[in-house]
Amino acid sequence: MPTYNLYMGCSVPANYPNYEAAMLKVAEALGMELNYMEGVACCGSPNLRAIDYYGWLLVNARTLAIAEQNHHDIVTPCNGCFGSLKDVLYHLKHHKEDMERINASLKKDGLQLTGRVRVRHIVEAMYTDVGIDEIRKKITKPLDGVGISIHFGCHLLRPVDVTEFKPEILQQMVEVTGAKVVDYPLWKQCCGATVLPVNEPLAIRLARDKIKSMKEAGAQFATVVCPACGNQLDLQQLGLKQSYNETYDLPVLLYPQILGLAMGMSRDAMGLGMNRVAADSILDHLKG
Amino acid sequence: MVESDEKTAIPQTLIEPIDMSRLDPKFRDEIRSMPDGDELTACFACSTCTAACPIANQWDYKPHQLVRMILLGMRNEVLSSREIWECLTCFQCQERCPQKVRVTDIFFDCKNLAAEGGKIPEKVALLAKELIEKGQLYVVTADWEREDLGLQASVPGLSVDYVRTALKDTRAGRIAGGGK
Repeated sequence: MPTYNLYMGCSVPANYPNYEAAMLKVAEALGMELNYMEGVACCGSPNLRAIDYYGWLLVNARTLAIAEQNHHDIVTPCNGCFGSLKDVLYHLKHHKEDMERINASLKKDGLQLTGRVRVRHIVEAMYTDVGIDEIRKKITKPLDGVGISIHFGCHLLRPVDVTEFKPEILQQMVEVTGAKVVDYPLWKQCCGATVLPVNEPLAIRLARDKIKSMKEAGAQFATVVCPACGNQLDLQQLGLKQSYNETYDLPVLLYPQILGLAMGMSRDAMGLGMNRVAADSILDHLKG
Repeated sequence: MVESDEKTAIPQTLIEPIDMSRLDPKFRDEIRSMPDGDELTACFACSTCTAACPIANQWDYKPHQLVRMILLGMRNEVLSSREIWECLTCFQCQERCPQKVRVTDIFFDCKNLAAEGGKIPEKVALLAKELIEKGQLYVVTADWEREDLGLQASVPGLSVDYVRTALKDTRAGRIAGGGK
């Protein structure tokens, strides 16, 4: 059974426990052992990187160093955490002086970072280590070809030399459930989450543009692999009636919810009742 | 094309004439010495970054102009701009740059310099303060939701103490403390 260091971050547990629960149940059914990392700090998100680059290096380097105490990869369900950890690791591997400076600080806690640890998004770990063929064998209630648009999230895709993530991974992961991936023009566009603190109307406009683009392309559902993106597309959608006088009713599923349902798991186990835009209609599309 | 007798309007200038005495010739080297700044001077002003940016249409300074302003030494204008803080960090500009200039990363450098000089949007400073007080950005409030799903009420393994102490001595701590 492949074993992983699970870095959960702070946003998923606080805002999307249904994402956490669905991911844990699906991973277990796929034979992945996810162990919550002990004593790790919040990644600080791009906000910390913006104001305190060194502090951001330090808190994330410490998480990486804790993982290096064993030989397992880090997996995370959050694009913000994924981007921070990947970016810090990339920077420190390419900047020896900074690595030495950080290690001098980590030494006080008895930690050392060599740079050999790997950081991965949970979806990529499922795709690569379990494999599409094995996942397909577990599908007992396939979806009926219902159209789902994917929002990847910027920090999962870019910068590609840092994240090393390929969009095909998530496309295949959606298709294996029996759903049809609905392409849409704004697939690369940002959800707007990062600009919320400085320009909320702009953040809402970006989320609205994405939802509109998906809906117009014919999507019946959307899926995300990040709590911040989920917040923008799902929760913010409720406010569009007031701000734009528009209603989209596009349910936004955290990806493991889709896979879990297709693997025969229950609505409640997947926490479907916690999705902000009512998402129960996905149950009508399960076969078998 | 039909010729018109009407006189065309005077072309709009994008920016006011630059006061050379206010330029900081060392600004480009300052940015280049920062993380991911190496490729800065490779910019040949093609403005592909601006074409890629989903919000450039509502910026006074477009991404390619900001890069040019850095190269020219317009330190104060760049570091006081709202644009660097509104950057979505979506990395589309950086992904498309034919000269491999790490545009988004460079805007992160600009924000760090602006923060060092105390120029930081109020809500961003507040986030820093919260991060240091709570040791995390988001705190579990609805623990019954977690328990309903079979999860532990508090997040397993998450340490808030390290962030609190480690960031006290770095810039985030100084921002949160109200000083520079």
